[in-house]
Amino acid sequence: MKSSPILETRNLTKVFPGVVALDDVSLELFPGEVLGLVGENGAGKSTLMKLVGGVYAPTKGQIIYDGYEVQFRSPKDALDAGISIVYQELNLIPHLSVAENIFINRLPRKGSFVDWGRLYAETRKILSESGMEGIDPRAIVAELPIGVKQSVEIAKALSYDSRVILFDEPTSSLTGPEIENLFSVIRSLQQRDIGIIYVSHHLDEIFEITNRIHVLRDGKTVAVMPTSEATEEIVVSKMVGRDIKNIYYKGSHVPSEVVLEAKGITDHYLKSVDFKVRRSEVVGVYGLLGSGRTELLKALIGARPLQDGEIKLHGHSVRFGHPHDAIKNGLIYSSEDRKGENLFFGNPIWKNITYLAIQVGRFVKLGFTQQQEERRAAGEYAKKLNVKAPSLDVDVYHLSGGNQQKVCLAKALINDPDVILLDEPTRGIDVGAKLEIYRLIADLADQGKAVVFVSSELPEIIGCADRVYTMSEGRITAELLGDDINEENVLKYCLQVGAAEEATL
Amino acid sequence: MKLNKSLFSSSEFIVFLGLLALGAFFAFTSPVFLTKFNLLNILLQSSIQGIIAIGMTFVILTAGIDLSVGSVVALSGVIMALMLHAGVPVWAVILLNLLFGVAIGVFHGFSITKIGMAPFIVTLATMAMARGLTMVFSDGKTIFDFPASFEFFGAGTIGPISVAVIIFLLYAFVAEVLLRSTVLGRNIYAVGSNPKAAALSGIRTTWVLYFVYIVSGVSCAIAGLVLTGRLGAAMPTAATGYELDAIAAVIIGGASLMGGKGTIIGTIIGVLLIGVINNGMNLLNVPPFWQSFLKGAVIFLAVMIDSLKNRQTEV
Repeated sequence: MKSSPILETRNLTKVFPGVVALDDVSLELFPGEVLGLVGENGAGKSTLMKLVGGVYAPTKGQIIYDGYEVQFRSPKDALDAGISIVYQELNLIPHLSVAENIFINRLPRKGSFVDWGRLYAETRKILSESGMEGIDPRAIVAELPIGVKQSVEIAKALSYDSRVILFDEPTSSLTGPEIENLFSVIRSLQQRDIGIIYVSHHLDEIFEITNRIHVLRDGKTVAVMPTSEATEEIVVSKMVGRDIKNIYYKGSHVPSEVVLEAKGITDHYLKSVDFKVRRSEVVGVYGLLGSGRTELLKALIGARPLQDGEIKLHGHSVRFGHPHDAIKNGLIYSSEDRKGENLFFGNPIWKNITYLAIQVGRFVKLGFTQQQEERRAAGEYAKKLNVKAPSLDVDVYHLSGGNQQKVCLAKALINDPDVILLDEPTRGIDVGAKLEIYRLIADLADQGKAVVFVSSELPEIIGCADRVYTMSEGRITAELLGDDINEENVLKYCLQVGAAEEATL
Repeated sequence: MKLNKSLFSSSEFIVFLGLLALGAFFAFTSPVFLTKFNLLNILLQSSIQGIIAIGMTFVILTAGIDLSVGSVVALSGVIMALMLHAGVPVWAVILLNLLFGVAIGVFHGFSITKIGMAPFIVTLATMAMARGLTMVFSDGKTIFDFPASFEFFGAGTIGPISVAVIIFLLYAFVAEVLLRSTVLGRNIYAVGSNPKAAALSGIRTTWVLYFVYIVSGVSCAIAGLVLTGRLGAAMPTAATGYELDAIAAVIIGGASLMGGKGTIIGTIIGVLLIGVINNGMNLLNVPPFWQSFLKGAVIFLAVMIDSLKNRQTEV
């Protein structure tokens, strides 16, 4: 029998100047239920979370919590009432212990001193109640792996006796086993009748952990369905607003001669990596966070000094001392970390697109930039890649993740490179943009480019790559071709430690 | 969400309005303020600060800071004075002085990029070292008596306009063009905005950092030349505290200490704003202690308005 909802929104609407971020959304969350909230970027997921979590006040509509209408004036109000948000970027204080973080602002006291004994005891109790006995309350947060940090964040939510927990992209920086661990924690929360809203771009996770799926598009509810009745195609079609039959796309290219080849490259992280990519080929590199995939790409472009090994470009031995040299030679790397390593926030779209090109003398005369030409070319590529923005002068900071990623790609492609190294180009972006990027990758290979595509999403690697390398602990553990590129194989090799030695025995 | 950064919402424009408002206030309260003589005087007094602040703008654009500027200006003056007294020709003195500025910049660039020291600390150390050397070389005494051809750069005039003002405006023009229209200029903004992305985009960030500290060092050398010429004397205590006025001018002009944001135009408006306050308060006979307070308050207000405007509402 269904009980009454623990949380309900009725006709919830939020208007920002010029934008209706959330439009008449009614949602129900029952105790012990995991509700998946999906939608493209800008569909209103974050706004909904922030309204429920007390960060914003609604323009219209009601929030009913535990049968009563509530009006939160701050996140603290929501937290005190029993609604907490676990954010993608964790809000822990790195140099304090687990226990201090959980009870920050509320440390138990003995007189005017902290009662450490009680603090640790209560922390231990909270941790064990949700299956996290393994975490030491005295451990310093900075020294914990990211997955454990997230568990601490969840424990913090539980310490407020939360009855509703909202997860915002909780797995974006977790590895496979950490995700499994998170899911088992979520299941134990379900057992305790806590209502959970789970926001994620990863549909496989949505299908694994949720009971119902609530789809938003352009701020409106477009579908609510039990997870058991949903399929990936249905959900994606609802999200993007049109029918999607094939999510992945391989194109029609046939790989030819080797363009870039690395032999035995070694630095303090990579261990004798052999790697090659051909003209008209999409090479997938799959590995968990920390497997060395980013390090490999950076070593290839000269952003990391090599200790040993050889790199050949078009058959000639090269050694790049700086990414500048790689760019000059037609080899371009696009970082996964859009904000930290790829884009220049505070700068307009067009300048971001041409930054790399002007380094090698494109759009430059005698050291002076030819800004008319720059703008024209940037506009052309922004259009080609379908960057959605009111003008080229918009600060990239204001763009959605998907549009930011397209600006990153435009920045790499405007230079017409022979080899394109894409590090997680689909990370944290919405489905519609992902589909465009899959198609773009195939098109590039069709045009004769050598494309390296790093991802931590198995289905897209399997769906897009002609050849796959799996990596683990700084080594290439397997090279897979054709029918060998399947889930079972890729997972087997990427988790395999020391596989390289085994193979040589 | 307003996306197009129009002229009227730019930091520079708002500070410019502030400058006009202050000017109007002083024009009403003092009969002397709006005279041609006084306005040219403000420009002259702002020119030395302006030259230093231009160098500071380059450094701050890369999220750095140069605390050594005041001491380096003084040291430059004393070194030139000693060379002149030793009989070195004026042209060679000026050239060697500029090289001295380059050397200071190279020292800062090396310490920051190769050793990895924080700009604040490196330049704080230089600030003390340079001031110390100024005292050592001059024996703590003011040095007088230079050839007229040397003093021309600080005290001379071409028509009604001081040479100092001309140097300042020319230097500002070159700096503005460099920052706005050259690859190097764009790279300075890029390094300040996101150093990692800059390196991965093929920008040699080390070179860029060397360059901005050299610009700052050379700016001090030019300022030293102008100041010493104008005073007709090299004083070991000259330019004390100039670093703070220069930083204030750059920040008032809309630059961010986090790097990547700021313009030469903004800095010049910032310098003029400080110049107008100093001048106006003198005309109104404001007691010196209150002058310091009021100047601080205006700096606070200017930066506060900009911060409020740019405060990000998104979490």
